[in-house]
Amino acid sequence: MELFAFLIIMIMVLGAGLLVQWLPMRHQPRPSWAQRAPFLGGGTPDSHAWSRYHIRYYSMTLLLIAFEMEMMFMYPWAVVFVEKGMKAMMEMGMFLAILSVGIVYAWREGVFKWQ
Amino acid sequence: MAVNWLRTLASRRSVPVFPVLGMQGDELLQQLVLSPDIELVDSPRHASVLLVAGEIPADRFEFARRVHDQLPSPFTTLWFRGEPWSHLENATRIDDLDILPTALVTAYSELMEGRRESSPRILPDKPPNPWEGEGDFGQGGEGMMGGVPYGRPMAMNMENDIRDGLTLDSLTFRLGPFFFAFPPGMSAEITLQGDLVQTWQTQLVPYPQSLDPVFFTARERPVPIAEIELARARHHLHRLYRGLHLAGLEGASLSALRLAQNLSTTSTLDGLRRYLSRSGFFRLAAIKGGELGPEQARRIGGPAARAAGLDEDLRSGDAGYRRLGFSPVCQTGGDTCARWWQVLAEIDQSLHLARQAERDDVTTSELGRIETPRGPWCAKRPEDASALFDELLPGLEWGDALATVASLDVAGLADQPVGTRPSGESRAIRGGTGNDV
Amino acid sequence: MFSELFLPVLMVIFMLIVGGYAVAVLDRLVASALGTSQDGGIWLAPMARGAWLLTQHANATEAPDWRAWRLAPALYLALAAGGLAVVPWSASLVATDLVTSVVLWGSVEALATVVIFLHGWSANSLLALIGGYRYVALGLSYILISMFVLIGVALPAESLQFTQVVASQAELWNVIRQPLGLPLFLIVGLGMTFWGPLNLADSTDLAGGTASEISGPPRLVWDMARAAMLVAFSGVAATAFLGGWLGPWLPGPLWMAIKMLAVLFVLLLLGRLLPRLAPERCVTLMWVVLLPLSFIDLVWAGIGALL
Repeated sequence: MELFAFLIIMIMVLGAGLLVQWLPMRHQPRPSWAQRAPFLGGGTPDSHAWSRYHIRYYSMTLLLIAFEMEMMFMYPWAVVFVEKGMKAMMEMGMFLAILSVGIVYAWREGVFKWQ
Repeated sequence: MAVNWLRTLASRRSVPVFPVLGMQGDELLQQLVLSPDIELVDSPRHASVLLVAGEIPADRFEFARRVHDQLPSPFTTLWFRGEPWSHLENATRIDDLDILPTALVTAYSELMEGRRESSPRILPDKPPNPWEGEGDFGQGGEGMMGGVPYGRPMAMNMENDIRDGLTLDSLTFRLGPFFFAFPPGMSAEITLQGDLVQTWQTQLVPYPQSLDPVFFTARERPVPIAEIELARARHHLHRLYRGLHLAGLEGASLSALRLAQNLSTTSTLDGLRRYLSRSGFFRLAAIKGGELGPEQARRIGGPAARAAGLDEDLRSGDAGYRRLGFSPVCQTGGDTCARWWQVLAEIDQSLHLARQAERDDVTTSELGRIETPRGPWCAKRPEDASALFDELLPGLEWGDALATVASLDVAGLADQPVGTRPSGESRAIRGGTGNDV
Repeated sequence: MFSELFLPVLMVIFMLIVGGYAVAVLDRLVASALGTSQDGGIWLAPMARGAWLLTQHANATEAPDWRAWRLAPALYLALAAGGLAVVPWSASLVATDLVTSVVLWGSVEALATVVIFLHGWSANSLLALIGGYRYVALGLSYILISMFVLIGVALPAESLQFTQVVASQAELWNVIRQPLGLPLFLIVGLGMTFWGPLNLADSTDLAGGTASEISGPPRLVWDMARAAMLVAFSGVAATAFLGGWLGPWLPGPLWMAIKMLAVLFVLLLLGRLLPRLAPERCVTLMWVVLLPLSFIDLVWAGIGALL
């Protein structure tokens, strides 16, 4: 039931957000093409902005995925941690240590800079 | 009716102004920033009033027209010491700096209350290119993208990237004269891949900047060192304001401006400098990169050269300064961080010299050569050095590139001091109204 | 039926409105205390600005992705509402008392990155695009720190439910028990709302970044969403670290409001005091310094929970 209430909350607030945007705008005329040009201090672009943008943190995202998978395991681990005691601590510690090696390697390879 | 009530409430806010800076328009900016009734915004979409400050040269009319049309309705324009374009009917022109804030507030409240019409659009309502394609839905046509979809070509110019050699799309554009992070009047054609600058080509050099009159009189007769050093400190504080505003330190930038406004021999920079070091401005903000080589440092001269380790300062040849025990301050490194340290050190040094000079009543002794805050002025005035950007900026990330632009004072010096009208030579390049070209 | 569906919605919308206004007023207070000159009365100014935005025309660009562009501010607002929905005001006064509220907050954080990127990308304008892409690097970095810190908070509670997390702080608040947690979480908060030093999305060097092409009502919703996200974040921070509704003489909800205001005040102050970080330095800092610190915080929390 609570999840349903949560869904209703999200939908209603989304609707409210869209309504606040749409209600004042519905009688406004479409902006002219001159207004629609992108703001570049008065300058002009050569092309559309959408392009194959060179994301320079791509390798960082791969490291992130490894840690995300660990995070997924940690959610249920947190709930049963106190029951399981030291053993649970050791296991997660090993997991973290192995992944930390990944961070050190990535750092040395310059993954966190805009390479 | 509800709209009227909303508009009345809207007229109670501070006036959102987008400044379009013409020649000598930079000076009024410092006044407006400190006024609580006016909010200077960075994007024309966030503004209701377009303030055209100073005279815009004819070669920048087209850019100004574009920015004018980019404000969303309702908006109005105000012209300060410049001739309004003739096809804007009720354009107001103000010439007196003291009444400018109230004029802006009046214009804005008239606009909100409906007593002033929103300014009409100047440029034609046409897409930049007709959308070409062959089929009914624009499909077909030449090239991978079928011509010019939605009025502009898609980014297809692929080149090897500078840093890692990957071949992805580059975006080429012209960043115009009215981008606030640039020196006023400068326009550049930039190619980016991602957010890294690949090429940078300055197309329009910044307007020549006017100095305090005391620097001009110092070439002819001895002036009290206190006066000239305070003028120098004021100039550096204005540059500091721009750099701090770019770095997101609003409060510090305003205190730098206030310090410049109330500058006297009893002022001190310690509080601001301590705050800047503690807040991490020198370690965390985007201020690495932009290192000047020795030949580039020699070309630009002035504090930027001293930040690169070149300890040349015309003041060391002056007997008055020698009496005060002057020696040039230098940094090593020559990058943006060093330049900001240098600016702070020079402001401090100027205040110190001014205090001493006032106490001992010392004047300059050398005529014909003067060290301006922009660089040494012997026979020729310091010239524009924006070609440096073409060499320095490729390979820098966007934030670092703009921080380098803010830290370098490249505009040449104008032949007239602050407070006079532009001379004959610059009048020749103006002229014409907004509706030609 | 009424109390289960209608009341939570009302609660959240009330929190959004009051919280958003509170953020605007508090921000002006902080700004005027730090010397930035402000106009008029601080109470009227947010309303005047909202009215101005409502009367201004909405901007368009040449070829945006209309649906995504108009949805992005509303989605960001909905995510903030989702965060506010799991913040407990007392042991029984929660809009939606989900068993896995920590997981839900984690997903709100992850989706916030998507929504902010969408806002920058959909405008099809260069400065907005750079803002969006630059922010994603930060967004992907803070999510891990946030999760390790929140898992550390969940360990003594043996549950992922925020009401249980608060209940586990009955003897000692987590800010004292796990000292590294709150500072790290505040940094995450600055990142999630791209506020102050971590404002890589809407920064001054991009003339407003993702917000450089919006005006009028969409800009109003975007600013409201940012304020709402600040409020939601401060609610979660007060719940996880400052003991939620626990406190001596005053009723629970009032304590919660006080703690939220305190966290908000700290966030707004940090936003005004610190300069904007360079993206490279920011990412390096988060992965090399803050993430190992969050590991230490987790181990500390684990040892503390076992003792």
